[in-house]
Amino acid sequence: MNLLHWIPLPVVVPLLAAALALLVEKLVPRRVIDALAVLVTAAISVECMALARVAAAQPMAYWYGQWGPAHGPVLGISFVVDSAGAGASAFIAGLFSLTFLFVWHYFEEVRAHFHALMLMFCAAMIGFCLTHDLFNIFVWFETMSVIAFALTGYRLEDAALEGALNFTVINTIGSFLMMAGVGLAYAATGALDMALVGKTLAERHADVLACGSFVLMGTAMLIKAAGVPFHFWLPDAHAVAPSPVSVIFSGVMVPVGLFGLGRLLAIVFAGIPAVVSLAHGLLVPLGAVTAIVGGFMALQQTHLKRLLAYSTVSHVGVMLAALSLVTVHGAAGWLLYMLGHGMVKAGLFMAAGMLAAVLDSVDEFELYGRARDRPVLACGYFVAALCLAGFPIGIMGSGAEAVEGAAKGVGDDWLGPIIIISSATTGGAAVRAGVRIFLGKGELPQGRSTLPEESERGDRPWLLMLLPLLVLVVANLIGGLPLERMARAAAATFVHMPAWDVLSGKQAYAAPGVPTEVGGGECSGWLALGVALVIAAAQLFAAKWLKHRVLWPAHMSIKALRVLHAGRVGDQLAWLVAGLAMLTAGVVVASVDW
Amino acid sequence: MLLRLLPWLAAAWLMAVGIYGMVTSRHYVHLIGCLSVVQSGTYVLLLAIGFVWHSGPPIFYDHPPGTPAVDPVMQALVLTDVVVGAAVSALLLALALQLHKRRNTLDPQELEPIP
Amino acid sequence: MKYSLVLRYALCILALIVLAPAAVLVALHMPAFGEQLPAYGATVNAHVPYMRQATNVVTAIIFDVRGVDTLGEEFIFVAAITGLAVLLRGGRGEDASRKPIHTDGRWLPARSEAVALLIRWMLPATVAFSIYVMAHGQLTPGGGFQAGAMLASALLLLFLGDGYRSWRQVTPPTVMHVLEALGAVGCVGVGLLPLALGAGFLENVLPQGQPKSLTGGGLIPLFNVAVGMAITGGFANALVEFLEETREPEAEGEQ
Repeated sequence: MNLLHWIPLPVVVPLLAAALALLVEKLVPRRVIDALAVLVTAAISVECMALARVAAAQPMAYWYGQWGPAHGPVLGISFVVDSAGAGASAFIAGLFSLTFLFVWHYFEEVRAHFHALMLMFCAAMIGFCLTHDLFNIFVWFETMSVIAFALTGYRLEDAALEGALNFTVINTIGSFLMMAGVGLAYAATGALDMALVGKTLAERHADVLACGSFVLMGTAMLIKAAGVPFHFWLPDAHAVAPSPVSVIFSGVMVPVGLFGLGRLLAIVFAGIPAVVSLAHGLLVPLGAVTAIVGGFMALQQTHLKRLLAYSTVSHVGVMLAALSLVTVHGAAGWLLYMLGHGMVKAGLFMAAGMLAAVLDSVDEFELYGRARDRPVLACGYFVAALCLAGFPIGIMGSGAEAVEGAAKGVGDDWLGPIIIISSATTGGAAVRAGVRIFLGKGELPQGRSTLPEESERGDRPWLLMLLPLLVLVVANLIGGLPLERMARAAAATFVHMPAWDVLSGKQAYAAPGVPTEVGGGECSGWLALGVALVIAAAQLFAAKWLKHRVLWPAHMSIKALRVLHAGRVGDQLAWLVAGLAMLTAGVVVASVDW
Repeated sequence: MLLRLLPWLAAAWLMAVGIYGMVTSRHYVHLIGCLSVVQSGTYVLLLAIGFVWHSGPPIFYDHPPGTPAVDPVMQALVLTDVVVGAAVSALLLALALQLHKRRNTLDPQELEPIP
Repeated sequence: MKYSLVLRYALCILALIVLAPAAVLVALHMPAFGEQLPAYGATVNAHVPYMRQATNVVTAIIFDVRGVDTLGEEFIFVAAITGLAVLLRGGRGEDASRKPIHTDGRWLPARSEAVALLIRWMLPATVAFSIYVMAHGQLTPGGGFQAGAMLASALLLLFLGDGYRSWRQVTPPTVMHVLEALGAVGCVGVGLLPLALGAGFLENVLPQGQPKSLTGGGLIPLFNVAVGMAITGGFANALVEFLEETREPEAEGEQ
């Protein structure tokens, strides 16, 4: 069996495992299914790493059912595996493997349903990263979404159901927009393969349809990736979902939306000048706004999971800005950042899950000082929080550096301070929460929190919960230097995927050179860390002074922000439509300028 | 000229009206219905793209292959869309059902996830 | 809260002002309605009937040319039904003899004998028709998805005609669950079969058979049946979950 036939396996094997788990769930003890899930995803992760290695030289194209350009006029669906896609798949599978360890003994009452759903989730995300067909990416997008909807509402409490409902409604509108976008692309080109669509759109100068298609599909991806103003669903969904599910959401699902947007920009719409200038002109500032809004909302939260959710919004904003620079350095930056942020955020959500399991709460004030006797957990949490705050060593730190370097490279020097603000606010909030929970220092407010109790199943093996968190944190710290070069190489192929002429055999693939490192920015990491610690200290020890002296000019806007994030589905939909209109207006302006 | 534009405008109208219904909805089941309306808009769009005048369905049982037929790829896409729609509607209705049992109301204005 | 409503409407009106002309502009640039078949569709119509001995080209696309999409779509469905089972868990038990919930002011009419008789005639006919549609997927309009939905709804006719208990006897949740899982395993298995034979995933390497025959199309009928099983099981499960919710709670505090 030649190597190409290994390509479908990362998608097919988890699907098969999920179906088998559903089939034998009543016959087989739960431990077996737990172990099966861990082993299958670990094996897939290793295979994807091998695929990434092989694909580093040249992306591999695999046409399902031999319906490829070499076999006849009819085209089917292809997976084009490049090292970025395979690397992302390896991370996805690896994170799922660790999460399956984390949930050992949890979710017993639904037998194997949780594991089956998570395995299908894994398969769908890997399929999303590897596919090269516009409708196929929609199918995997939808699979991911449906599973996420069901898992969010798992706890069946009021808040969980409402959060899940809002999440479902907003994301389903996204799916319909994506469907319409695929339709427009098909109408313009008569094809569904991404490279062929890209080539045909550029050749036919079908700019209006291309821009329309990008606006629709881009909006769908931005909804999944939670860019402002499509981000309102994210904090609600993360806060109410069980923590292992939040781990997956923040760690991989939300960044994967950006991955899809990146694929669209790099392959399908690379030849449409209006779209490229829209990306640079509108999406980069949008990313910056997302970064700032997310960071400031994170500072306001005392519910640990909502805090982490807003910090995801903020960091996704940074990634969106990097992605929209549409340069190789930008791509290298956001690939590294996505990996590092995924690891750190997953670790933090696991910590939150452990707190919910043993202490029955995730509210900063309720937990005040109660976790003092858990030193290893505290260490893991604080290291992760410091990485979030911009600690320069580690994958996330290297990613931040690379993003800043990429931005300077195209002249967007203002992105550097945005990154500092994002890291400082989110990291400061996380550190502050950690100091209150693990060290018991800082002021206590009067009164109790009005949020409902959060408890997750407590009698799970502590070591199996702690181990994945430590693995993620350590991997983030030590992986920075080795992965930095690989990320640049992966980014080079990501931005220069094989064109249709290469895939149909007319041309040979010209491997893009690996660009040199763009330096600078290390002191920004230390600066962000410092500011984060100052913010944390201020919120801990001088909250009243802050409120009256420093923040009163911003008081009205902070209040307005809170009201906006109140969570009614009608408001969120109105913002969605407004965001769609903003992108449309943007593309009109971009095409006129050109 | 209007006939030329009609299918596309109909699709856009369906999506717009559906979203309007969702924005102003006062009952979650009504909202789910409006979601189906938006979905119908996408069906109209896709099927209209594949349509050809004076052609039959892409089923060549009674006619030999080669008789003019409409686009089968769009039909396959719409089939997938229908299944997706059914799946999502089922999930939404289950969520609404559970919510109604707990809160006795399904008014989106009354419900907010975090107080 | 008033501000939120005003803001909502303002945003929608502003969005409309931008989106309406944009929609018209896109509509003006769309290819002329009905004038030309898109390239992909034309190629498929021209070549696939000869390559696959399948006269229903849509089914050939779904189960062969774009089989991976169908695999994904199948698992969307399985995931949705599994999610449904998770969300509607804590149900009212498997006891099929429970009474329906009594709501004040709503009158439950007695079942008419004419309806029961009519259903007893219609049910076997509809089930047979569903199986016909499934078996002839590659020949005439139909296929696994359609047939599965029809079969599950056909079984539901029994609920109309003979009541909840009879319907539950025909659709025991465990059997339906196994059917659905077996269908899902079958879908992946059908794709892995060519791998075992040395070809690519989901490559249609089985003998193609005669045109217009039930076994034509190689892998297509197998995939069809697997999908049909999964859809039937899934829909039946969904209906059971929903209808269970209409039964009276058994004990104190059970939701």
